[in-house]
Parts: sequence; structure tokens; C-alpha cells
Amino acid sequence: MPYLGSEDVVKELKKALCNPHIQADRPRYRNVIQRVIRHMTQGVDVSSVFMEMVKASATVDIVQKKLVYLYMCTYAPLKPDLALLAINTLCKDCSDPNPMVRGLALRSMCSLRMPGVQEYIQQPILNGLRDKASYVRRVAVLGCAKMYNLHADSEVDGTLVNELYSLLRDQDPIVVVNCLRALEEILKHEGGVVINKPIAHHLLNRMPDLDQWGQAEVLGFLLRYQPRSEEELFAILNLLDSSLQSSSPAVVMAATKLFLVLAKEFPHVQTDVLVRVKGPLLTACSSESRELCFAALCHVRRILRSLPGHFSSHYKKFFCSYSEPHYIKLQKVEVLCELVNDENVQQVLDELRDYCTDVSADLAQAAIFAIGAIARTYTDQCVQILTELLVLRQEHITSAVVQTFRNLVWLCPQCMEAVCQALPGCEENIQDSEGKQALIWLLGVHGETIPNAPYVLEDFVENVKAETFPAVKMELLTALLRLFLSRPAECQDMLGRLLYYCIEEEKDMAVRDRGLFYYRLLLTGIDEVKRILCSPKSDPSLGLLEDQAERPVNSWVSEFNTLVPMYSKACWAAISSPQVSEPHGPEPSGNGVLSASGSLVSENKEERQPLCDSGSFLLLPNGQLTAEQFEKTWLSLEVAHREVFPWQGVAHPDTIQTALQMVNIQTIALSKAGVQPWKAYFSAQDGAGCLFLTELLLDPEQSQVRLSVKQSQAKAEALNSFISVLKTVIGTIVGIKS
Amino acid sequence: MIGGLFIYNHKGEVLISRVYRDDIGRNAVDAFRVNVIHARQQVRSPVTNIARTSFFHVKRSNIWLAAVTKQNVNAAMVFEFLYKMCDVMAAYFGKISEENIKNNFVLIYELLDEILDFGYPQNSETGALKTFITQQGIKSQHQTKEEQSQITSQVTGQIGWRREGIKYRRNELFLDVLESVNLLMSPQGQVLSAHVSGRVVMKSYLSGMPECKFGMNDKIVIEKQGKGTADETGKSGKQSIAIDDCTFHQCVRLSKFDSERSISFIPPDGEFELMRYRTTKDIILPFRVIPLVREVGRTKLEVKVVIKSNFKPSLLAQKIEVRIPTPLNTSGVQVICMKGKAKYKASENAIVWKIKRMAGMKESQISAEIELLPTNDKKKWARPPISMNFEVPFAPSGLKVRYLKVFEPKLNYSDHDVIKWVRYIGRSGIYETRC
Repeated sequence: MPYLGSEDVVKELKKALCNPHIQADRPRYRNVIQRVIRHMTQGVDVSSVFMEMVKASATVDIVQKKLVYLYMCTYAPLKPDLALLAINTLCKDCSDPNPMVRGLALRSMCSLRMPGVQEYIQQPILNGLRDKASYVRRVAVLGCAKMYNLHADSEVDGTLVNELYSLLRDQDPIVVVNCLRALEEILKHEGGVVINKPIAHHLLNRMPDLDQWGQAEVLGFLLRYQPRSEEELFAILNLLDSSLQSSSPAVVMAATKLFLVLAKEFPHVQTDVLVRVKGPLLTACSSESRELCFAALCHVRRILRSLPGHFSSHYKKFFCSYSEPHYIKLQKVEVLCELVNDENVQQVLDELRDYCTDVSADLAQAAIFAIGAIARTYTDQCVQILTELLVLRQEHITSAVVQTFRNLVWLCPQCMEAVCQALPGCEENIQDSEGKQALIWLLGVHGETIPNAPYVLEDFVENVKAETFPAVKMELLTALLRLFLSRPAECQDMLGRLLYYCIEEEKDMAVRDRGLFYYRLLLTGIDEVKRILCSPKSDPSLGLLEDQAERPVNSWVSEFNTLVPMYSKACWAAISSPQVSEPHGPEPSGNGVLSASGSLVSENKEERQPLCDSGSFLLLPNGQLTAEQFEKTWLSLEVAHREVFPWQGVAHPDTIQTALQMVNIQTIALSKAGVQPWKAYFSAQDGAGCLFLTELLLDPEQSQVRLSVKQSQAKAEALNSFISVLKTVIGTIVGIKS
Repeated sequence: MIGGLFIYNHKGEVLISRVYRDDIGRNAVDAFRVNVIHARQQVRSPVTNIARTSFFHVKRSNIWLAAVTKQNVNAAMVFEFLYKMCDVMAAYFGKISEENIKNNFVLIYELLDEILDFGYPQNSETGALKTFITQQGIKSQHQTKEEQSQITSQVTGQIGWRREGIKYRRNELFLDVLESVNLLMSPQGQVLSAHVSGRVVMKSYLSGMPECKFGMNDKIVIEKQGKGTADETGKSGKQSIAIDDCTFHQCVRLSKFDSERSISFIPPDGEFELMRYRTTKDIILPFRVIPLVREVGRTKLEVKVVIKSNFKPSLLAQKIEVRIPTPLNTSGVQVICMKGKAKYKASENAIVWKIKRMAGMKESQISAEIELLPTNDKKKWARPPISMNFEVPFAPSGLKVRYLKVFEPKLNYSDHDVIKWVRYIGRSGIYETRC
């Protein structure tokens, strides 16, 4: 973004840089260079002084050198030919007696992003890898990654990779960690750096020497290592025990994830680990570092989903303080509504009621919705609180309360009477679309028990012309028609008026069509209307509104300590979905919570896509085998993976088949629904041509399913990816209890 | 990994911009400004996603620091890194303010070059950085051989946090126990939640490679986690609400702490944070705030607030400040206080009552009459809590340092020759009483 008048500035800088008097006067010279960098920071294009800056790099002043190198790294892609001139100086610096100068030069040289630089940097990097100063080795190791990144399509240099692997045994801890990082980038296409037993054990032994960044990173790499035996597994867990007590939250989180992943076969160990990190997590949740506190709260919510009672005795820690930032308060409200139990429900509700009158409308509404969520279990108390809130006659409060009522009446029909008594009078205090829709829906469905329902709806019909939200008009049409069925005398006239308005005057096509549809429906006779509008409602236990009940720890452990818990589900799905085209302008960020009414299908997708995207594991869409081929291969292979996991509900062959089809797992054969024992066979093929054959065996008596997977090539990583994809899909199907 | 680091002032002007990875373009700098700094609504999250790029931000006074990445990174680590960066900068030039950043921008670029390479955190210990990034910048030809080798040994040192061959004429060490006490109290005087988060900061000027042993009183019950089996936590988990948690600097040998509960270490040279802890049980609350609010009609409020100091009469609390919020439609305030000075600050919607010093076991009171403008706003005043700031010369958690022993077998000074200083400071964190 060049600023106005920047040309003059650049000209003046150029003149100053060329001036021999200034060049001779070192402080002044450095000052001019500083101005160049200052303008660069602000976004002025100062690339035209490149030549002069290259000259300025030939100096003994290290600070000046650093500034010039920073400049060159920024503009080298624009001026590749001129940048080549600088390489000479840089190469000379690479053999300076001072290790700091050597390191600086090598780092800058590797950061020049321009074609053809590779041939110049190769030799200095190789020298750097064997430098006696660890400072230079650190730079050189990352230099390898930079060099490879410049030419991502070039062959991976085997000798270089071997050299890096051997440097994992370097005595300097940062060199070791940098080696891991570099190898990870260079071997990206082969699945990253390989962590075998000797490397894993070596890294474990070096852990105490590393700084917090190194520890966090190494713990991440160790996730890849699969211990051979149970003894080894527990030996590793013992070794890493101190990491759970580290003063760095990043290390604690990374260690927690590693523990949870390693102990995925041992649920009691996982629970123990979560108990142990309770302290550090609570500390982080009450720490003065707001952002860390936010991250911790997001993870607490994840944990609560699997272990609902985990933080119940510490509910007071999640009470909001007045001066806390908004985002922390919103998270705390969510946490509070998830950790409610019989003992603390009264205190939590008292606290949440205080927030309902908060000055921030956002927080107030969040608190009301939280009370609504608690109401699914503790209905009477919550409905009473919500009813009391209506007395305040505040628009945002009334609207949120009515929305909560609508959701509640559907899930807990027993509270209908209380809700119906509370409703009259609300209409005066609702202005927003969501609130109006909720109120109208309630009046339509339960109108027969609310004495003044027709009169409230009449007000809406009177003002329908001024109504700005089409969704409200649609809701009004449906509600009035429903109410007409139960109280025809009071509604007939206004229904006529509303239909007339919608068909003759309404400009929104959807509303018009709905109006016409109802009109024609009425023409077929009242019985037909009743049959269609008042047919049995969907079953609330479908779990659309209700969050899925307790999820096993293993279902989210791969997302622990990543960005996934930090973003809302919808937002994360948008980020991780495959990109069609690079958007030019910045998109507005997905702000806010996924509304509970997200459709089923899209929810399925969200769950699956991040998994399919993660890493380079992809299943081919056309890996179809015939049944004979399948049988032959099945018999010839050994079982590579066997697992048993719980299964509730009945298997619906169609659902399973379509769901698996979406991730390119083909169904070979299936038993019919209800047949016992129920069996299914699937096949899939990944990008490298490896076949996966799967058998599912359902045992209804013990409500569990046995999974066996066979693999045509022995690749542990691909196998793990495949199993995680398969389990996610199956988990989703079981979760929605189809 | 971090793709880029930007620093903005409160207007959104870029003060520092450093890009480490190719996938972060110049437009990322503008995207953050437009979507977060200039956004009208409140900040919704410290992590913002704009066009598939994640922006992690931290605010220090009115300066925004943002780390940018396209990868699915570990959030705690990025925030921790930003904090570390703030610490490093503060160690070089004090407060992080627009002016300081502008004046030191060369230095900041130097630091950014050193602590991150290709987006990966490198050595970030202030002590180590200070040996080769000095305010003036080092000039290679002036550097003596000795200095050079010192840097190399610092940079390659086996113990990352201390170099060899440190010599002091006077061996001295300072221990600061710094606590911040947090309280949330109901209007009826019931403690809703209270905790102390404390730090033990050590400043050591010791020669050689001294082995130190630190001991404190047993009042802090450090619940040994993990020891309890599943059924024990199930039973005792409910009574022992205060799960206290403590962490140490990297130099402390954790294995020894686990087995004998002793804290032994070789300290870094200069200042560092030895340990950090949190307590929730038996906290000495230095002050009680007793509020009384009476609404007289629709246009008048009477407020009376009593504060009671609750510690030894020989000790003095300092910098006491009580902040009593007033409604938005306040037209005038009359205040009478027995001690200190009180003022109504219309811009902050609060009565601020300041007392320079107050001894223990004393009581002081303020009463105010608040006149209100009649409004037709139906909204009831939300009554924000009364908050308090203070500083006391003791540790509200009850922590006491029992000893700090120094052993250096190779050099000829003993534990008795070391001059030791211990200081306790308790400050208010979020100290609120609802009214």
C-alpha cells in the first residue's frame, strides 16, 4: 500500500545513500538505512534503493548489516538480478571468524527468496552443518528447510537427509529440535520425519536439556511413536511425568496430548492424566494472562464433554469477574452450564441469573441460553428464573428468554404450562427477528392454552406491512393457520386478511409461495389441512438440538492442543474445507456460535472433512473391488488391526453405506437391518495403492462392535489414518442414533 | 510455527512487521487491522481467523502484538511466545509503549531475527540474548577474543541457562515473594471465590556454579497429584477443593522435588522466576469491604462503604484505592471520608477513594450521596462491583521462606558469606465485592 508522496521520499533516501559524506559518517549512514527500514515497515515500496543498500552491506557494523539483510530478504524476490550481487558479500561473511557474523550471513542468505539462489547456498549450508559453533549449526539446519522450501518440487537429497538425521545427536539442544523441524518440512511428502525407537528414546533422554519451545515441539513429534510393548509405554509415561508439571503451559498441554494419545487403549490412564492436569488447567483458567486463560477454557470445555463431572467441584473458579474481557466471560458461561450437577446447580443458577442483567447484551443472552441448556435437566428451577426475567421488560432479555422457551417446550413438554402462563405481555418487548419468530411459533403451536393468543397474532397481522423480516412473515403464516385449526372462530377473519396480503401485496417470493400453498391447502378441505399440519411431530430424542451425549476421550484427542477447540465448529469447518480458489480480499471472520439448528447433513460434513484433510492421507474415489476379488484378498491377508468399541442402537445399512461412500470407502457386502449377528465388509484404496479391507461384526448382546482391518501393504501410518477416518464416520452415525 | 509477527499502535499503524514464511503476504498486515483493530464490536476472541489465516493477538497497554500463521498450531505455545517476547522487550527497554517501540525499532528487529528463525522459536532467554544483542550493537572489530569465546560458550553452554566462569566480588542474592490476591465477594460478605497466585523471583549475583537449596514453610499444602488412585480422588476430591498447583523454573530438579519435596537448583545469573504457585485455602484477605447502597427515590442514591484491614497492627498497607462505581446518569456527588482523599471521576463513572497508608486492624469509612438525573430508561442499573487495589508487606497465602542455602564446592566461599535478602509483597489482583 504505497502512501501518497512516497516517491519523493524514496528519491531523497536514494540521494542520501549515495552521498559520500554520509557514507563516511557512520552514525548518519546507519540513520539513513534505518529510515529505509522504517518506510519498508509502513508499507512504502522502497525496492528502488536496492543497489545502494547492497553497497551498504559491506560494513563492519553488525547492526547495519542486520538491517541491510532484513531489507534484502524482503525485496530479493522483486530484484533477483541485483540480489545476486549481494551474495558475494554474504559468502564472504559466511567464513568470518566471528560465529555471530557467520550465522547471520547464512541465515540471511537462506532467507533470500529468489530463483537460482540454491546453487550459491548449498555449499555454505553444508559447511555450516559442520561448523564448530552451535549457533551456526542451528542456522544451517533450518537453512536446509528453507532451501528445500524454495524448490519444493526438487528431489529430496538423500545425503542431506542422512546428515540431518545424524545431527539429531548434536550436543546443542536447539540444533536437535531444529533438525526435527527441518526434516519434517523436507520429508513432508513422505509423511514427515520418522521417529523410530532409537530416535524416540534419544529424544526422551534429551528432554530435560531443552527449553520450553523445544520440549513442546518434541512432545508433538513423539505423538508419532508407537511403543512396542506395554512396558515400554509405561516407561515413557514415567519419563515424561515431569512435563505435566512444567511451568510452561505449552509444555503441559503438549504433554497432556501425548499422554492421552499414548494411553488410548487404557481409559483409566487417560482419566488419571486428566485428573492430574486439572490443577494446571485451573491455574491457567484463573491466570492473569487473558489469552492463555481463553485457550485453557476452550480445552476445559472439550474435557467436560467426555467427563461431565470433572470440574464440578471447582465451579466457583468459573464465575466471571467484572473486569474480565468479554471473550473470557462468554467461555466461562458455557463452561458453567456444562458442569452443573445436583450439588452446585443452585449456586450456578444464582450466578448465571446475575449475568442475565449484565450491561453487555451479548453476555446477557449467552447467560439466558445457558440457563436454557441447564433447564433440560433442572426444568422447574430454570423456568422460574427465566419467567422472572420477563418482568424486566428489556428487549434483548425477553427475546432470548422466548427463544429459550421455544426450544425447551419441544424437548421438555412438561414445562409447557408454565411457559404458556409466562408468555402474555412479551410481544411488547420483542423487536428482533429471532425473538419474534420464537414467540409466534409458541403462540401457534400452544395457542389453545394461551387465552390471548389470537389477539397477539392479530397485532402482528395488522402490522405485517411494516414487518421487515421475511422469516417472521413465514412463521406468522404457519402459526396463524395452526391456531385457526384449534380456535377457528377467532382466527378466520384475520387469516383471510393475512392470506390476501401475502398473495396480493407481498414482494418476497418465498412468503408469497407459502401463502399460495396454504391457500390451496385450505381449498382441499379442513380435514386435509389438519392431517398435514398436525401430523405427529418429530421425535425430540433425535438429538438435533441436544448436544451429543458424552463423547469418548479418543474422539477429540487428536484435536487437543490445536486450533480446533479455539474456533467454533462452523468456523473450523470453513477453514479446513478444501479451498476452491484463493479469495482476494480478506473474508469476514466467522463470528460467533454455531446455532443449534445447523442441519444434520452439514454437521456430518464438518466432522469428517478436517480428518480427511489432515496430513496427506487420501482415499481414492474409484477403488471398487468385486466381491470375488475382495474375498480372495481377504483370505490371503493377515489382520493388521483389531478393535472393539461400544455400539448403541440399530445399524441401518443405507445410512452406513452412504456415509462411508462420502469418504470413499466402498461397501462390498452388508447384512440386512436387524439380522443377528450383523456383518458388513468394506474396501478402500489410498493414493499409494494400498488396499484396506474391513470387517464389522456387531454383537447386540454386549452392545459392541468388532472391527478388523487388513492391509495389502504394511504401512502403519496409513493404517492409523484409515482407522481414524472409519471410526469417525461410524462414531458420527452412532452418535446421531439413526 | 509462526508465519509473521506484527506490532501495531492503537490506531492500527504498523510499527514492526516481520514475515518469516512465504505463505504470509503483506495483505495479512492490513487484514488484521481492518478486521480486528478497527472492528466496531468488542473483541470476540484472541484468536481470529481471516481468510484461512489465524491471527493470535495480545494487547499491552495500547499496543497490539499479533502472531500470524496458516498452520494448525498449538495455541498455548503461540500465546506463551508472545508473552515471552513482551518480557524480552521489557527487559531491554522497559514498558512496552508506542514511543519505546518506535525508539527501539532496530533493536526489536534484531531480537525478532534472533528469537525466531523460519517461524520456529529459538533461544529466547534474556540473559543469553543480552550477551550478543546490546543496546548499541556489537562491532566485530572491537570485540576481544575473550568476549567472543564468552559468547560462544554462552550460546553453546551445556546448561542452557548459565555460563561458566561467572565471578562476583560480593556474593549476594535477593528473594522476592510476589503474590497477587484475588477475591470475589457477595454483598452479604460471603467469599464466592478467592485465590492467590504467587511467584518467587530470585535475583542472584553468585560466582561459579552454585548449588542452591530453597525451603519454605509447610503451610502451603501442595497436593501431590497423581499419587491418589482413582477411588481416593473420588472420595477426597470433594472436600479438598483447593487443588494447589506449583511449577518451577527449568533449572529446578523436579525428581528431587517429587521424592523429598526439596527444591534444589543451579540458578541462572541475574533475575529469574524460581517458582510459581497458586493457593486457595486459608488465605489472609488483607481487606474486607462492606458496602451499603440505598436508593432514595428515583433521583438519589446513598452509598456507604466501610473497609477493614485485617492483618497485624504493626504492618502498613500502601497504595490503597477503592473504586465505587456510580450510575451513568449521575449528576452530582457529595463525598465524606474519614481518611485519605476521595473524588468523583465522571469520565470513569466511579468514586475513587485513595488512602496512602493504613495500619492493620483499622477501619475506615466513606459515605457518598449521589444525585441522579431522572431518566425514562427502564434499564435498571447493573451495579458493577466495588473493586480495590492495595499493596501489603506480607504474603496473603501465608508462605514463608525458611532458608536458601548456597553451596559452591569449587570456589572458596560458603553459605555464610552470601548476603541474602528476602522481601514479601502482596498485591491485589482482581479484588471485587459485589454490591
